[in-house]
Amino acid sequence: MVAARWHQFRDSGFYHDFSRDKTAIISFFILCLYVVVCFSAPLVAPFDPYDPTVIDIMDSEIPPAWLERGDPRFLLGTDAQGRDLFSTILYGTRISMTIGVCAVLLQAFLGISLGMIAGYVGGSLDNFLMRIADIQLSFSTLMVAIIFLAVFQALFGTELYERLAIVMLILVIGIAEWPQYARTVRASVLAEKKKEYVDAVRVIGLRPHRIMFRHILPNTLSPILVISTVQVANAIVSEAALSFLGLGMPVTKPSLGSLINSGFEFIFSGSWWITIVPGVVLVILVLVMNLLGDFLRDVLNPKLYKN
Amino acid sequence: MPGGVPCEVRCRHRDPQRDRSCATAPVRIQRRHSIVSLLEVKNLEVRFAMRRQELIALRDVSFKVEKGERLGIVGESGAGKSVAAFSILNLISKPGYISSGEIFFGGKDLTKLTAREMSQIRGNQISMVFQDPMMTLNPVLTIGTQMTEALHAHQDISREEAKQRAIETLARVHIPSPATRFDQYPHELSGGMRQRVVIAIALITKPPLIIADEPTTALDVTIQAEIMELMMELCESSGVGLILITHDLGVISQMTERAIVMYAGRIVEEGDTRDIINHAYHPYTHGLMDALPQKTKPGRRLNQIKGVMPALSSIPDGCAFNPRCPLVIDLCRTTLPQFTVFGSTRVACHRAAARTD
Repeated sequence: MVAARWHQFRDSGFYHDFSRDKTAIISFFILCLYVVVCFSAPLVAPFDPYDPTVIDIMDSEIPPAWLERGDPRFLLGTDAQGRDLFSTILYGTRISMTIGVCAVLLQAFLGISLGMIAGYVGGSLDNFLMRIADIQLSFSTLMVAIIFLAVFQALFGTELYERLAIVMLILVIGIAEWPQYARTVRASVLAEKKKEYVDAVRVIGLRPHRIMFRHILPNTLSPILVISTVQVANAIVSEAALSFLGLGMPVTKPSLGSLINSGFEFIFSGSWWITIVPGVVLVILVLVMNLLGDFLRDVLNPKLYKN
Repeated sequence: MPGGVPCEVRCRHRDPQRDRSCATAPVRIQRRHSIVSLLEVKNLEVRFAMRRQELIALRDVSFKVEKGERLGIVGESGAGKSVAAFSILNLISKPGYISSGEIFFGGKDLTKLTAREMSQIRGNQISMVFQDPMMTLNPVLTIGTQMTEALHAHQDISREEAKQRAIETLARVHIPSPATRFDQYPHELSGGMRQRVVIAIALITKPPLIIADEPTTALDVTIQAEIMELMMELCESSGVGLILITHDLGVISQMTERAIVMYAGRIVEEGDTRDIINHAYHPYTHGLMDALPQKTKPGRRLNQIKGVMPALSSIPDGCAFNPRCPLVIDLCRTTLPQFTVFGSTRVACHRAAARTD
């Protein structure tokens, strides 16, 4: 069964296109590396950055190992608190990716259900939902998130916030970006709804929710897949931006964004690596995701086929 | 005008040859009345509420389908054939709506059912076969999924049983190696095969009535004949009633027992198919018959009905066909013709009596 599926996949046009696209292969490989290394961080990382007992303040701001004054124990150097930068980046990337993926799952859940209902039901409900989406899109994601997170911190104190930071970031980024999905899904649903197979299943007597989610949804999957890759990258960037502004992950449990932020004060005192290294890690992560998104868009949209 | 009016009163034509059929007509009409019809549409009117005005797509449409009967509906594009079919299933999408009339099926008026009750009828009691099999199957689901879905929606049936039923039904529509086809996707089948699958989906719940909306228009001619033969065979073997919508008079004459001719949203002629084909009374039906290629000598231009059907927004007074009618008189431009009965047929035309050929 599994072998048959694999063979089917090997024969598919998707695999064919993928095996010919060097950019896609390299991007996919790097992404896999990120996922594997970061999610096995407790095994791979030489230090546990969350454990205060292994951190020595005397080790702070040690440059990467290959530089003068470098310490072979700390491959990428240490940050201002004396944490091993390599380990912290692994744990931080894990947090960033978790937030990115979960926020996008939330976006997708909200956006797909609302967009599907708006497109399928139509009429005044469609108008109502889409105007809400328009209003929400007219505020920038970051602005909404900043206001919301700042108010939350002011109301409930930073201590509670630090405990709930991951959940809060997922909620805020997830809710702020649902209109992207809703609009895409609605547009495809409007196109699919007019096709005869929808009439045909209505004639079979299926209930609307079954028609929507079992028949129309699979036909709208390709645009959803394409925007998902881009949205994960966007969510990671949003999270990094919020953390950089001090509204994201706390310094004790840093994500890539808060690491970049924490090193920012020291950049002029010469400790550039605390900011630059996690910055490069973030840029590569976002870049490969966008490249994979481009690849998916080209493959899944036959109209874009060149020659 | 219902068919129950005594034939003698209405019988106006002077052709002695036709008198025989006229004499037998009352008996036939009575027989029809004694059975409870499978489907009875009464004075159906469908309107489309457009921005500026309301367009009336169907006016005063009444007809019946008996158990196991095959009824054909013919007419040009836009005559209201498909609207009539969709309104039976209450599937006219906005801005269209049924403004008046009744549709009796199984003792219930379908126009008064709730959405939930209606979806119990759709697919279970009345199925539909659409025009283009390339479009009516969902490209991302397997044939099997799409077939068993209809069963699961209406019957409490296990997955294994449903699969068994689906494979049996595929075999009934003469699909080779049905068990393999069950797991395939629509794109792996040819057009004719797909239409067979669509017919199988319509049959799987064993409904008493199937509506086929131009089921062969999208297929090539040899496949058309096969599909028609298949539908004929299935109807006869299982006693399914059929409403066949088409603009192909040849198909109507082979497939159906009774036929309805529609023009601009009204029924203009209705009767036994053989009588309509052989002795059309309405000039429009006549025009359709004359337009058949067989009626023209090779090398000549085909006959055609001059002009086009009026748009719904500008249907002329009187008889809607009057601007194109070769037999038009002043009365046709002012007064809507009532139905007149000639033997098995009823026809809405002031000049029907003038047709004695």
